[in-house]
Amino acid sequence: MDTAERDLLEEALRKTMTAAATGASLDTALADLGWTQMLAEAPDTAVPLVFRLLGETGTQAAVLNDVVLRAAGRPVGGTLPLPYAGGTWVVWARDGATEASALDPLLPLRRVGTGEAVPLAAGRRALGWWLLGTGHAMLDLAREHVLERHQFGRPLASFQALRHRLAEAHVALEGAEAALGATDDDTGALLAKAAAGRAALTTARHCQQALGGIGFTAEHPLHRHVKRALVLDGLLGSTRELTREAGALLLRERRTRRLVDL
Amino acid sequence: MRVDEFRQGLRNWLDHHDLTPPPDDSLDAQVAQLNRVRGALWAAGWMRYGWPPRVGGLGGSGALRAVLGEEVASRSLAEPGIWSMVEVLVPTVVDYAPPTLAAELVPRLLAGREQWCQGFSEPGSGSDLASLSTRAVPDGDAWVVSGQKVWTSLAQYAARCVLLARTGGPGHAGISAFLVDMDHPGITVRPLRTMHGVDEFAEVFFDDVRVPAHRMLGGPGDGWQLAMDLLPHERSTCFWHRIAHLYATLDRLLADGCEADADALGAAWLDLHTVRCRSASTQRSLAAGGRLGPETSVDKILLATAEQRLFDTARDLLPGAVELAEDAAWRTGYLYSRAASIYGGTAEIQRNIVARRLLGLGKE
Ligand SMILES: Cc1cc2nc3c(=O)[nH]c(=O)nc-3n(C[C@H](O)[C@H](O)[C@H](O)COP(=O)(O)OP(=O)(O)OC[C@H]3O[C@@H](n4cnc5c(N)ncnc54)[C@H](O)[C@@H]3O)c2cc1C
Repeated sequence: MDTAERDLLEEALRKTMTAAATGASLDTALADLGWTQMLAEAPDTAVPLVFRLLGETGTQAAVLNDVVLRAAGRPVGGTLPLPYAGGTWVVWARDGATEASALDPLLPLRRVGTGEAVPLAAGRRALGWWLLGTGHAMLDLAREHVLERHQFGRPLASFQALRHRLAEAHVALEGAEAALGATDDDTGALLAKAAAGRAALTTARHCQQALGGIGFTAEHPLHRHVKRALVLDGLLGSTRELTREAGALLLRERRTRRLVDL
Repeated sequence: MRVDEFRQGLRNWLDHHDLTPPPDDSLDAQVAQLNRVRGALWAAGWMRYGWPPRVGGLGGSGALRAVLGEEVASRSLAEPGIWSMVEVLVPTVVDYAPPTLAAELVPRLLAGREQWCQGFSEPGSGSDLASLSTRAVPDGDAWVVSGQKVWTSLAQYAARCVLLARTGGPGHAGISAFLVDMDHPGITVRPLRTMHGVDEFAEVFFDDVRVPAHRMLGGPGDGWQLAMDLLPHERSTCFWHRIAHLYATLDRLLADGCEADADALGAAWLDLHTVRCRSASTQRSLAAGGRLGPETSVDKILLATAEQRLFDTARDLLPGAVELAEDAAWRTGYLYSRAASIYGGTAEIQRNIVARRLLGLGKE
């Protein structure tokens, strides 16, 4: 896919996602845009694009199933049990949400008793891009707010304490993006998801603070992104678990892997 | 030459040429070691790659210099902080000095025959560098410089100084840059003690020092632009070296039998991995001819944070290694890491830049 094709695709995807399509209807719309073929033929372009946009637009679709199924060498289009933090398992339903995640009612995640091990790297990378998009959605909301709202006769954006919080969020997101762009093995995917989860949670904390009371209401969109970040962080291993796993690997190998080179 | 070819060739060469530092960690010994390593790498050609032929280089991408510094840092052949002065100063001198001057002087630095220093900060002007008050006044075919610099790393060893001084009115536009010989009459260098015991910086006093007119870098008033152009160099190749040094430090922590705290070690690695990925992408855009700007503040923040977390982790997981151990192996590095959020623009200044220039939050 060349740059022009990629840009066209991004535009089409964004349009579809912002046209309020979410859940099962977004799955259908993505299928119409050729998702299955994209995933088979150009996963390195399609996955970052689709998942990041899901985050940015605050929509959701069951496409994580396809990414994990494909990595497991199984036919796409179905569902499978996915590991969740704390040794639990969930299924991301495709049937129009019979049950939903308690925290984020728009995500059709339900707990299941158990599942079998599947390759996780591709799914972790995909979720990392989603978390990155969610982080950017929150940062954009906070940025708009601090530029518009005045207190003490000046824009909130002029207060250094808030500027530094938002700068912190930006740096975390940029670092996560670099880690996501550099991964091609299991360990790289693990670290990239940890970086993205951490960045999204850091961003959630700072943006929540910058938005003050309005950010605590259900009317303002921030809370949806905050909740999504929390739920996605736990999927296929939380930031905390992945970080610990990385540390355990260091202790086993007694040498730090250099995963990227010039 | 291709990067992987270069790396392989260099590794082979280093395997067969023993440049192990002597067991003396005084600054004198470190500087002598730096010169020895540079001299050997220059003679063998490695030190010439990535620099243009007009200053004695063999051309090729700057990534070759990043790889060279990485190998040097990974093998702990030279301290990356003092090694990096080349990366900070040479690209700027190549761009701004009259060509004959650059051709004459740059090879001396690259070949380890000289040290140079960077005279920017002053007692009254640190973060607010544009307020600097060292003056240069024209007098015939020379500029007469008076004022004081401070925190000037390696000034006590330096043969030249890239100096910022005011030649015009207040603010950015009144600042010019010079390449000054440190043996001029009127220059006094007074080393300062540092908290980590490696007394790397000094105060430098200028008393009516006559600097020949052709030693101006760029034209009158170009000093601020020069300082801005210097920063991206400081934050690309040099950072790659420092990151390599920090990876070697994490390996050393594991080798020294630290407590098996997987959470803390994983977090330290995650920070290092993140800044390494970021820096790799910065090097790539530089190699592709991109101009680096305020976005390198992100690299700077990630690096300072990673460095401090790593040494905090070492202190936690090797109890007493910083405070009680006879040898300074962890003490020096731990203490030096405290400066990572100060030198090269403080943590706060970096966040100001991110907020203003990258997030578009307007003025404070
Ligand atoms: C090890 C080391 C080596 C160095 N080497 C060199 C060298 O070779 N050449 C050279 O020229 N300089 C060198 N420096 C100097 C370095 O660049 C300065 O220390 C640095 O720019 C900060 O300036 P300052 O020390 O005057 O601190 P100040 O500018 O006085 O800052 C003090 C505190 O105030 C904060 N602050 C200042 N302004 C703001 C603001 N607008 N918003 C929020 N907070 C603010 C700072 O972040 C900091 O926390 C070195 C410093 C160190 C520690």
